[in-house]
Amino acid sequence: MPAFTRRAFLQWSGLACFMLTARRLLALAPLRPRDDVPWKVQQVLQQLFGDRPMQPGHVQLDVPTVAADGRVVPVMIESDLPMTANAYVKAIHVLVDNNPDIHLAEFRLTPEVGQAFVSTRIKMRMTSPVRAIIETSDGAVWGTAADVRVTINGCG
Amino acid sequence: MRLDVGAARILVPTTIRRGDVIDVRALIEHPMATGLFRDSEGHPIPAHFINDVSVTYGDREVAHFVWTSGLSRDPFVEFSLVADREAPLKFVWKDNRGGVFTQQVDVKFVA
Repeated sequence: MPAFTRRAFLQWSGLACFMLTARRLLALAPLRPRDDVPWKVQQVLQQLFGDRPMQPGHVQLDVPTVAADGRVVPVMIESDLPMTANAYVKAIHVLVDNNPDIHLAEFRLTPEVGQAFVSTRIKMRMTSPVRAIIETSDGAVWGTAADVRVTINGCG
Repeated sequence: MRLDVGAARILVPTTIRRGDVIDVRALIEHPMATGLFRDSEGHPIPAHFINDVSVTYGDREVAHFVWTSGLSRDPFVEFSLVADREAPLKFVWKDNRGGVFTQQVDVKFVA
């Protein structure tokens, strides 16, 4: 009996094709696990917040999923945290992983603004996660991130 | 496009009642040059951007922003404010070359 029949070849190649496809599909499924923060961003976070852990939640970040023009990307950050005299949002930070300046802006607020809300327009060099991080008066750090695809690069 | 560097506008609602949480929008004309680009003749364009914004309501600073060149040209910002007194709302923008630009509006209540 020949060791390598046409039937066996087809079966094996079919299996190989299936496995390759499956692997590709598996790689596609989790686009990016949220918790893998690049090293350069971790350094910035370390500088800003020291060893305080960044918790998810309480921050709502509104950015476009696809930005046609990287020179003008609207960013809106909002939080449901209270703004009272003894517990308030002290600062809102905007970080863009793939920009030359990762820590792009810091908005320091006081209870007199009444609501932890900031809206602005930023530049993005390339497709990158945008991070919104909120620091409260008692030192807690809340953060969220969203991916923005940039089609025209915008550091001009 | 010509740019009138430092020309700024602040927008607050036209009708404000005491205690309202109002939306404040401010825009200033500024190139926000990163320093990473060259002009059409190949000369580098030096960095020129606003890095410090202070917002004062009456005599108290209510917000302070630290910016980099990563904000878009003609930087715009919107935030909220509790209008609990009739007082001027004053913005001071400072850039990395020593430029200081100010603009203010009066927060007034409707009768």
